[in-house]
Amino acid sequence: MAQRALLELENISKFYGNIIALEGVSTKVNAGEVTCVLGDNGAGKSTFIKILAGVHQQSEGSIFLNDEEVMFNSPRDALDGGIATVYQDLAMVPLMSVWRNFFLGAEPTKGFGPFKWIDQPKAMKIAKDEMAKMGIDIRDTEQPVGTLSGGERQSVAIARAGYFGAKVLILDEPTSALGVKQSGVVLKRIVEARNQGLAVIFITHNPSHAYPVGDRFLILNRGKSLGSFDKDDISQQELTGLMAGGAELQELQQELEEAISGVKKN
Amino acid sequence: MSETTMDEGHVSEADDAGDELVVSPDKTETSEAQSSQAAPAAGDERLAYRSLFQRMFVQPEIGAIIGVIGVWTFFWAVSLNFGTAGQTQNWLDTASTLGIMAVAVSMLMIGGEFDLSSGANTGAMGILFILLIKEVGDLGGLGLSIWFAVPISFAVAMLIGYLNGKMVERTALPSFIVTLATFFILRGLKLGMSKLLTGQISVTFTEDASGYDFWQPIFAGEWIRNEHIWNGRDIFYLGFAIGGAVLLALSMCEMHFVRRESNSAAGLPIFGAGAAGVGAAIFLLHTTDGVNANILAAAVLGISVLVSLVGFGMWRYEPVESAGSLGLTSKIMMRIGTGLALVAAAIVASFAIDSNNAETLFFPFTVQGLRVVLMMALAGGGFTLLVIAANLALRVNPTTKLFVSTVLAATLVVFAFVIRASAEATKFRTELFSVFLFAALGVFVWSVLSLRYQERRAEDETADALGMRGLGLGVLFLVLAVVLRHLFVTQAELDAAVNPARFSVRMLWFFAFTAVMAYLLARTRFGSWTFAVGGNAQASRQVGVPAARTKTQLFMIVSGAAWLVGMLLSFRLSSLQAGAGDGEEFEFIIAAVVGGTLLTGGYGTAIGAAFGAAIMAMSLVGIQSARWNTDWRFVFLGVILLLAVIANRYIRDQATATRR
Repeated sequence: MAQRALLELENISKFYGNIIALEGVSTKVNAGEVTCVLGDNGAGKSTFIKILAGVHQQSEGSIFLNDEEVMFNSPRDALDGGIATVYQDLAMVPLMSVWRNFFLGAEPTKGFGPFKWIDQPKAMKIAKDEMAKMGIDIRDTEQPVGTLSGGERQSVAIARAGYFGAKVLILDEPTSALGVKQSGVVLKRIVEARNQGLAVIFITHNPSHAYPVGDRFLILNRGKSLGSFDKDDISQQELTGLMAGGAELQELQQELEEAISGVKKN
Repeated sequence: MSETTMDEGHVSEADDAGDELVVSPDKTETSEAQSSQAAPAAGDERLAYRSLFQRMFVQPEIGAIIGVIGVWTFFWAVSLNFGTAGQTQNWLDTASTLGIMAVAVSMLMIGGEFDLSSGANTGAMGILFILLIKEVGDLGGLGLSIWFAVPISFAVAMLIGYLNGKMVERTALPSFIVTLATFFILRGLKLGMSKLLTGQISVTFTEDASGYDFWQPIFAGEWIRNEHIWNGRDIFYLGFAIGGAVLLALSMCEMHFVRRESNSAAGLPIFGAGAAGVGAAIFLLHTTDGVNANILAAAVLGISVLVSLVGFGMWRYEPVESAGSLGLTSKIMMRIGTGLALVAAAIVASFAIDSNNAETLFFPFTVQGLRVVLMMALAGGGFTLLVIAANLALRVNPTTKLFVSTVLAATLVVFAFVIRASAEATKFRTELFSVFLFAALGVFVWSVLSLRYQERRAEDETADALGMRGLGLGVLFLVLAVVLRHLFVTQAELDAAVNPARFSVRMLWFFAFTAVMAYLLARTRFGSWTFAVGGNAQASRQVGVPAARTKTQLFMIVSGAAWLVGMLLSFRLSSLQAGAGDGEEFEFIIAAVVGGTLLTGGYGTAIGAAFGAAIMAMSLVGIQSARWNTDWRFVFLGVILLLAVIANRYIRDQATATRR
């Protein structure tokens, strides 16, 4: 078998008691690529993220990171493995300043032993510089995050993940609460993160957001995978059709074939 | 460069969109010239400049600091002895134990939890300590040396805090419920153990306990003021006070006005002459006692202060090119009119009502009490309206500001003389009188300076840094002056039979504890995590903050503080009732909230909580020294709590609102 991708998932399943939340999902993510995970509500997207982020552990199946099988027992494990997750609620504290949020949990310190203090000037400068790299000129890093717009907050979260050496960046519905213009901004950040060599997993239920930026598409429905497609193999209409389609794989494949032939005629 | 305002929520907009944001209508040209010098050097040009006062106003502590000044001034003005060393010692004593707990409780509240057992815990630690060392009589005397009892009780405190934290973590129940249980357990243990071991509902220890001589000064040492005579005190006291005042005035100028590109030497001789005048006036004030000589000295002082500051400004700051002409709007006129009418009513009240009549008019007011309340309310309202008018006038132009400020200053002077003429007590005839005169001087001088020199509306890091250093040093000098005056007594005061004051070492514990906690909160990872777990526990867990550990540590800090207070109480009283501390947990929470801590977590400061405790302690002591019926103190506390919560909400909204 050829060299594995940066992150590969094989037949991941998750059961909560007798409830099957996720069954037999496989996909891969390469560095410098965007893998989009699409699905309607209840499709298992959240479970999928939580397994990758180390919040939950898969019941069956394997995760390979850098060609090694790994098991994430806690969010720390996943972070140490280079997998950073930007949650829908962004994991930010609204009343805290931008720089404190940026470094939360990993503050740079000075001093020794029990007398360690946060290197505040350094932290503020890095936060500002990292945001600038994302193309955002933050006005004041002492500003509470709660006063930023939705797109700016996403950008702080993405910049934070990138700075802390993430190799894989998971974005959970980053555009769902945003307006058209703000969504565009966030999509641009995704492309920038990809261009910086990150492997991006972009979770969304909006194919028109996913298609322009994605290199690969994993479609989930009722906890099952409807397939993992390269961009060359699928069009935006097919993608939309798949997401909207019924539960039966057969039916969907038929639809898919029809749709593909339709595209070829055009 | 065009005058546009910032587009909302534009994240991708390029940097070159930096247009002038703050353009005051009357001096567009100058401020543009200014910003082209200042803006590239520092800060982000899209940030509207916030002046010193605006920046200070959005600190979470500011409500409590203003409250401390306000409450102190209130009781100082209505009572005869509030403000003397003895009374200060009184309220600082109360504030210390209350404050240590309030600071710890406020940290826990910032972390999003409550500890209802904190009050009972203070008493429990004291009783445990005493039971451990009890040597004489009764069953329970373990007779341990204090050397063992101190660390053992501390370890128990840590354990209680740890258990509180762990139980909250494991059960995932609200900490209200879990610590309510701890509260009842501790309360029961205190009574049960006291009765079981000593047969009494109070426990006592004697000075015979081994190690007492070493530990007593640490937890209950006292500085007896009347035993420390220092006749040269006043020279240092005055020196620091005047030095502090000068530093404050100059630093405020430095932070408020635009620095000249090169200093103009022409101002220096004027500054020197003014400073010499100030010196002469103070010397005159200090050496003479006659009324006329004092009034002369005061006049010299006022003029000299004005001259020296104008000279200082000439030397350092950009002059205003055009101050505009007087433009009084109807809004300003209406406020001036109403303000003057209210002050006039206050003056009428002060003469019309007999200040010696202690007869009860209607419950709970006496005639003289009614007079004070009426005067304070009317004059306070009047002066507030005049200050508002002056602020409105500043928006028109500096000339109008000067006019309104002069009206305000003149009213203050008139009111000062009214107090002098109508008051009986020397305290009011001299001290309150001078305070009003100084206020008038400050208002007038400041508006003259605003008329002559340009107000800074752009970042200037060097000037701000210098100003902040001067401000810090000035405050330090003033504090030193006050401390010297409180710690030492002069022979003259002793001869006049000054009331004794015994300053307890517990104050040092209070200051040190507050300082350490403030440092932890603001500068360490633990502090950052405390804000994070209180602000959004789930988010902090997701980014790898050890949320459970942080909360457990916070519970241990509260329990450790309760241990400290238990030690302070035991050594002070050598006897504790089984109910000691029960029910005080709400006072700690109130002090924390008055100090700006958010009940829902994620926001607040340690220093604010310390000031909150000071406000409560001052109120309790002040009500006694004003000779009011102390049964009513809780009404007063309730009102303070309500006002504080409203004020803090306003401050927080200002602090978090950056979109303009």
